[in-house]
Amino acid sequence: MTTDSRSSCATPAADPWRQQPARIHRMLQELPGVTTFELVPESGIGGGGHGIWPFRAGQFNMLYLPGVGESAISISGDPARADVIPHTVRQAGNVTRGLAALREGDVIGLRGPFGSSWPLERCGGHDVVLVAGGIGLAPLRPAIYQLLANRAEYGELTLIMGAREPQLLLYPGEYDGWRAAGLNVVTTVDRADGSWHGSVGVVTSILDRLWLRDPSGTLVFTCGPEVMMWYVMRTAASRGVPADSLYLSLERNMNCAVAFCGHCQFGPWFLCREGPVLSFDRVQRLLRIENL
Amino acid sequence: MTDQCETFWLPRADLDRLIRLLSEDGYEVVGPKVDQSAIVYDRIESAADLPEGWTDRQNPGEYRLERRDDKRLFGYVVGPHSWKKHLFPADELVAAAKRAGDTWQFTTPNAPPRRYAFLGVRACELAAIAVQDRVFMGGPWVDPLYRARREAVLLIAVNCTQAAATCFCTSMNTGPRCERGFDLALTELEQGFTVECGSERGRELLRRLFPADGPAMAEATELAAAEAARSEAVTRITRRMDTDGLRELLLGNLESSRWESIAERCLSCTNCTMVCPTCFCSTVTEVEELTQVDRRRQWDSCFNIDFSRVNGNPSRNTIAGRYRQWLTHKLATWQDQFGTSGCVGCGRCITWCPPGIDLTQEVAELRSSVERDSAGAVP
Amino acid sequence: MSLDAPNLLRMLHTTRFAEGLPHAELTALARASRLVEVGPGEVLFREGQVEDEVFVVFSGHVRLSMKVPGRGEVTLLTAGPGDLVGWSGLISDGVMTATATVMDSARLIALTGRGLQQLCDSDPQLGYVLMKRMAQVISRRLLSTRLQLLDLFADAAAARSHAGVPAAAQVAVPTETTPSGARP
Repeated sequence: MTTDSRSSCATPAADPWRQQPARIHRMLQELPGVTTFELVPESGIGGGGHGIWPFRAGQFNMLYLPGVGESAISISGDPARADVIPHTVRQAGNVTRGLAALREGDVIGLRGPFGSSWPLERCGGHDVVLVAGGIGLAPLRPAIYQLLANRAEYGELTLIMGAREPQLLLYPGEYDGWRAAGLNVVTTVDRADGSWHGSVGVVTSILDRLWLRDPSGTLVFTCGPEVMMWYVMRTAASRGVPADSLYLSLERNMNCAVAFCGHCQFGPWFLCREGPVLSFDRVQRLLRIENL
Repeated sequence: MTDQCETFWLPRADLDRLIRLLSEDGYEVVGPKVDQSAIVYDRIESAADLPEGWTDRQNPGEYRLERRDDKRLFGYVVGPHSWKKHLFPADELVAAAKRAGDTWQFTTPNAPPRRYAFLGVRACELAAIAVQDRVFMGGPWVDPLYRARREAVLLIAVNCTQAAATCFCTSMNTGPRCERGFDLALTELEQGFTVECGSERGRELLRRLFPADGPAMAEATELAAAEAARSEAVTRITRRMDTDGLRELLLGNLESSRWESIAERCLSCTNCTMVCPTCFCSTVTEVEELTQVDRRRQWDSCFNIDFSRVNGNPSRNTIAGRYRQWLTHKLATWQDQFGTSGCVGCGRCITWCPPGIDLTQEVAELRSSVERDSAGAVP
Repeated sequence: MSLDAPNLLRMLHTTRFAEGLPHAELTALARASRLVEVGPGEVLFREGQVEDEVFVVFSGHVRLSMKVPGRGEVTLLTAGPGDLVGWSGLISDGVMTATATVMDSARLIALTGRGLQQLCDSDPQLGYVLMKRMAQVISRRLLSTRLQLLDLFADAAAARSHAGVPAAAQVAVPTETTPSGARP
């Protein structure tokens, strides 16, 4: 398995059940029902002994609201940034709704980072296409920061960003900066009124006609609704991108995050450990089996 | 395998002294006991607690205690309990949160673990413990709670001298002979037990039990009788599971109609996962106490519909999907995850399934349906 | 607008619709084509009008929209390089089912429906290839429409607001491909 070197990076000696207190430095309302929590571990980032190790793009943390529970949330910040750890959270269940009711300065529990990451180490010299749908941009954002921080090392970099409607594009304030830094940002929406002058249509249509300099040397990372990711993978494969160069971030019920509880199994994988990022060749067959 | 020449003899009357010695050493001795018409594993104080003269009769969906016509203490096979309930309790504290001003103080349990001595561990159960060792201690993360108990436990195994109709350990290569992973392994005869030592800790225990001149070596007649008794278990095992290409069989037929056929009988009641000695699924839940919030890990089951829920929707919305998850995990993907099968052939899931679904039978049916289909494809 | 046959031929064979065709067929196709260069806001065709031309977008973008009473002009899709618009002219009665408005400076290859039809009728082999490609285009378009219909991002929109769209999100369309829009 190629992900071994990238699976759970925190020290095995650490107590996996131990929560780290983390203070909410800032809460940013990104979209209706979507908030970014900038967390600062009480013991600092990168210091010793607290378990919050430098994370890799694509990994997630468990955010804990005592009395309510934990929720697995992708880290959406820059891995190189040592002041705060941002998590973009959509209100979907008790924990995420509880989080949304907190205020800046409140303290929550944090465990992590967990899981596999986007294979940036494979991207040197290659073209990379990121395809995000809705809030799926959150786990891709750390990869964007890292790619742009070392822009010269890569070929063409493209982000295809889809949303339901223009008002629901995530992190819109950053697109110009990314463009200036060398990322080709293409946005598209499912529906729009006359005030929208951008593209209407699904991300797969954009990917389908995207000019690829060297399909066999291109990597595609995608995160979004599973149906969208499936067709992104299929479209990219039809364009000649090898299945083992296509990566997606899967979501299942993560409860313990350390492969003890069994919840997040997907075929042979614990998505908390071998996932959430997996290559398409490994999951292709399983993805189309219902109730797996 | 232990050396035959190191087999000792423990007179029946001295078993009680062994139990008391363990208690004096600070062990909580857990062994078989009759409770509510079943032989369960529970705390025992003396040999008098053991299920003398009882045996179990098992069939798919059926478990009955019956009297034996002798006074054997271990004359049964396995009951609804397995040792996992002590090494991996059904409900335990894993962490706690306490308000501390405007922040939280997070703690994890640091009390010394309970020191258990298990008496009466069968070969399939030794195998099951080894399987759970891989789950909780073999990956990048180690469960400190499991490890603490596991490292402290003393294992006294007892070789099977009979088998239930539901047993198939010989197919899974886990028994019936106890070969490794124990401190002491007994084989019960009418007058006492032959004893093999599997560890220095076991050897030391025996020496202390007979402080004057050490434990007696077993006589040739006793060794022969013990061998005959153990062979009896092997010959009584009638159930088979064909493990040849089993992983590929299951993973290659995820969309077989057989899953639907099983789903017509399966109640999704979770019994099989509760009695299984290797099933490890759990959920951590929040329990509000007076001054703190406890995080408690409780056994869960892949047969519960909520188990796979993501954003309000279960990923496995059908019984067929859940049974398939359980069986393919147990017999196939477990190998990918832990390098071993998740099944030890103890037969509990067959016995304790209300409609008596038998996984060995289901695997055989799947195999023959696949063979039929491929035979049909040939003109 | 200009007509430059060798250039047109070169452009044609880089489009997914015509790539890989033998030279003779390409030449025949080019004879039935013309290059159209259109500026932003220009309308290629209108819903309800009868048109005889099918357009292959070479560069730039075309907005397809339908008029809905009470809602005005609703954008259905943004077609980009490689896409085909106005196929009613070839496979149906020529009555356009949407309005096509050029969004930026676009270059398109216009094929006359009648010319294309004659080509297909006289050379069924070529006709079969072209119709197959047309079917692929339509099938992709259908899949996209279905994915739009599934409303996959609905959860995120549960509590939608009517906040304005930041300008940065809007400047999207022209950066999608390399300038030529075609594949080398």
